[in-house]
Amino acid sequence: MRKQERRAWICLMLVMVLLAGVGLFGYRFVKSGGEWATFYGNTQIYTDGVINRGTITDRYGEEILRCTPDGVEYYGGYETRVATVHAVGDPQGNIPDGAISIFKSQLIGYDILNGTYDTTANGKKIALTIDANANRTAYEALAGRTGAVGVYNWKTGEIVCMVSTPTFDPLYEPEVSEDEENSYFFNNFLDGLLTPGSTFKLVTAAAVIENMSDRDSFTYECDGVNQIGEGENAKLTDVTEHGEVNFRDALAQSCNGAFGALTREVGAKTMAKYAEKAGLTEPVRVDGIETAAGSFDFPKDDDIKLSWAGIGQADDLVNPCAMMVYMGAIANGGEPVQPTLIKSATFIKELTGGRSLGRYIDSDTAAELKDMMKNNVVENYGEWNFEGMDMYAKSGTAEVGSRNPDAWFVGFTDDEDAPYAFVVWVKEGGFGSEVAAPIAARVIRSLGSVSE
Amino acid sequence: MDNYRYRRADIETLINEVLTFSENNPELAVHITTVFRWIFVVLAAYILLISIVSLLTTRATPEIWGYFMVEDGGGFPITHWENVIGRSKSTDITIPLRTISNNHALLVRRSEDKWMIKDLSSNNGIKVNGYRLDPEKRYVINPGDLIEMGGTRSTITPPSLEETRNNRYMRRLDREPVAPWKILLAITAFQLMTIVQLILGMGTEITATALISIAVLSAVMWAYVMIFNAMGRRGFEMEMIAFFLSTINLAVTASSDPSSVIKELIAILLGLSLMIFMCIYMRDISRLRKIKPVLIGLSVIALLINLIFGTAKYGATNWIRIGESGSIQPSEIVKLAFILIGAGTLEELYEKRNTIVYAAFSLFCLACLALMSDFGTALIFFATYLVVSFLRSGDFSRFVLTGVAAGAMGLIVLKFKPYIASRFDAWGHVWEAEFMDDLGYQQTRTMSFGAGGGLLGLGAGNGSLKYVGAANTDLVFGFVMEEWGFIIAILAVLCIATLSVFAVMHIVAGRSTIYTILACSAATMFLVQTMLNVFGAIDLFPLTGVTFPFVSTGGTSLMTSWAMLAYFKAADMRRNASLAVRKEE
Repeated sequence: MRKQERRAWICLMLVMVLLAGVGLFGYRFVKSGGEWATFYGNTQIYTDGVINRGTITDRYGEEILRCTPDGVEYYGGYETRVATVHAVGDPQGNIPDGAISIFKSQLIGYDILNGTYDTTANGKKIALTIDANANRTAYEALAGRTGAVGVYNWKTGEIVCMVSTPTFDPLYEPEVSEDEENSYFFNNFLDGLLTPGSTFKLVTAAAVIENMSDRDSFTYECDGVNQIGEGENAKLTDVTEHGEVNFRDALAQSCNGAFGALTREVGAKTMAKYAEKAGLTEPVRVDGIETAAGSFDFPKDDDIKLSWAGIGQADDLVNPCAMMVYMGAIANGGEPVQPTLIKSATFIKELTGGRSLGRYIDSDTAAELKDMMKNNVVENYGEWNFEGMDMYAKSGTAEVGSRNPDAWFVGFTDDEDAPYAFVVWVKEGGFGSEVAAPIAARVIRSLGSVSE
Repeated sequence: MDNYRYRRADIETLINEVLTFSENNPELAVHITTVFRWIFVVLAAYILLISIVSLLTTRATPEIWGYFMVEDGGGFPITHWENVIGRSKSTDITIPLRTISNNHALLVRRSEDKWMIKDLSSNNGIKVNGYRLDPEKRYVINPGDLIEMGGTRSTITPPSLEETRNNRYMRRLDREPVAPWKILLAITAFQLMTIVQLILGMGTEITATALISIAVLSAVMWAYVMIFNAMGRRGFEMEMIAFFLSTINLAVTASSDPSSVIKELIAILLGLSLMIFMCIYMRDISRLRKIKPVLIGLSVIALLINLIFGTAKYGATNWIRIGESGSIQPSEIVKLAFILIGAGTLEELYEKRNTIVYAAFSLFCLACLALMSDFGTALIFFATYLVVSFLRSGDFSRFVLTGVAAGAMGLIVLKFKPYIASRFDAWGHVWEAEFMDDLGYQQTRTMSFGAGGGLLGLGAGNGSLKYVGAANTDLVFGFVMEEWGFIIAILAVLCIATLSVFAVMHIVAGRSTIYTILACSAATMFLVQTMLNVFGAIDLFPLTGVTFPFVSTGGTSLMTSWAMLAYFKAADMRRNASLAVRKEE
């Protein structure tokens, strides 16, 4: 009998296996229960594959859409639909990063205790951080061109405007297009990887500030051609002949020759380090979404290509959202706040600020950059264009192949009630300060709280 | 009959009243479910945790059947009916002398003053009263006979009156099993609330017969406990667990297929009767030994009939149609025989022929199940065979070898049965786009709807997993998760685990290996069945399509689960706890 008693451990082993399996499932249930419950196969909350409960509003409670068992109902007109569709998402799920997909468990009101249990079956109302009005303004300002506008509050992290064009009316969803880059469904702001042009000089400038103690005595004689070696490609052409420029002027006039020289002085290794420090090589995490990650190539043995890379050309690719966060970093003393799309506990966020992404650059560096960006506005873009705003910015005109250059305008405002970091990109728009800057000004003005 | 009609009218009135109420007060009606969900979980936790704790904390003090007195070595209490005497530490009576073989002799109690001894082919043999024993034969001896082994002299003495009294006193001091009354009340409350919730959840789709069936189950439960309590039985935890799980079964069936609830009730009643019969029948070991050949014959016939006349359901031909709408699953009933045939007294375990018969019978069963394409059940039988073989022989290397060989066989089967192999493709990948709506359809739905239930469930009748195929059988774990919540689903699994731990714990006080092997074997079957069912539904294992004991809809399986409970009852040696053991004075 004692033998059987000893051998019976094998039954206890089976018990352990059963409990271990159930334990593992319990862990998965806690971790992924929300994902499982909101799977489109769950006919409790999906009708014909479309979520059947929940309401999405903008930051002021303006209802954008409501999911019902009879389909998705839209509020607001055509312009609201097309201007918010990339943020809100579409019923067909062609926009994978839309709120309707990313926040479906919040829409349904899933929680681990109650699951999808809902006595009203109306789901929950979730407020996005975007301002529907600002989105409409941005959509109008882009005026049919391909582009992206992103604005976030660099103190709280709330993305108040996010528009990507081309866009579409979710009520009459177009066919899926083959060409992903030009697709209606593609969100240039979150998923785009674009040549930054001169906006990248803000990264090069950070590297200069932190690595060249003699930068104040730096001067460069710009002859408009700036030949740096043999061959056609070996010149950093500028629009005009800038003459003798110092570091500060070089940024204000966006002198390619001077920034090429600065890049060479800083060196390839340091440039790569600063592209990374500026957060441009990693995806930005926005709630459940991961943006595309930028990439750069700073060759050690090719001064010409290195110079081009230092002024935002060559193989440089940035993601607009990451660029916006870098603006937030400069605005916020070197430590950017993580962007978010869902509005929650605003009161606490306003008191304590949003979640920090850690230190990107020194606070002194940030202060100097900020000062130079103000100088850009004063000297180059004209403060009268941004009346009522305390504007800090940098324009960009990115050469991409032989087509018309892309227009960029990035920066931030530092007003008590309007602390906004922004990025504007217009494909084939032309000059950044001419084309993109007015869009930024118009959108920020539409956000209100800007003294007229 | 009049009485029945009267009740039926009552329940129809109840349905109408509840429905009218919920129509007139829709706001209030939804909140009834909101509150009920909490109460259900609290009641279930109370019922099951009390029963589980009672099972796991009450241990029986072993009974003393006599003393084995060794000259100059003192007396060893004999605590089992079957004992091995030898030098090895794993024997029941250990005599650490070189001249004694590891397993020297088998000592079996036959009755009050009759014992049986057998030489287990020891080196130095045994002499009783100076007569040398033939190793092949067994001999009846009486207390007081002189037993000589390897130069030691010993004898058996019956326990003195005082020692017997002492032992009984000690056993009386054992913690008693928990009294069933509060648990009964809790289950009854649970059942009545289930009736109301089903009306709220199902509306007019619910039938009066389905609800009456739940009420009848409640009445049967009370009758069972009251009758056997009056007869002096004290342990009811296992039955409480079974009645609770059966209530869930009826609720699941009522939600998915109201017209089948009556069948489930009949299966419970049949299973309960069979369990009572088996408990009483198993009190006598000699009856068990005699019935084995009969059971082998009947099982062979049942499986052959199944092979010839079987009909297919979800890919496996393991059903026999009876009449218009009835069908039974012979392999489920054969499970009961399979367990019994694998168990044996200690003496039988030392007989080679017995082992061969068991192996041959197992092979036959596995072959039949393979031919029926019922690989889930085959796996259950095989795992049980492995564990039982190990319990019998203790040969771990053979255990591993057999397992490996079967694994290889399994791979060959997979090669020839692409239908089965395809399930393995989806295994672990059901959430990938390629499988989620195809081979992983049932698993993703199980997890999705199951998670939708949260911890508290959506309420009986409110689920949607029921519209997926085999929801109330193979996917019942998800069904319970959705309608009753994660907590109750996990508690159901814990119940099965508890029965198994209980079976192992009580070997210490076991009388015969036949009872302990029966219990461990039944435990293995329940465990493997639960694992295959639960793990299959949640993608921890390929979906094999077996039932969850007691909970899955299916008459034959439910009946067998109840009957199987007899094997656990037979291992319950707590004082007067189990009706499978004769009453103590």
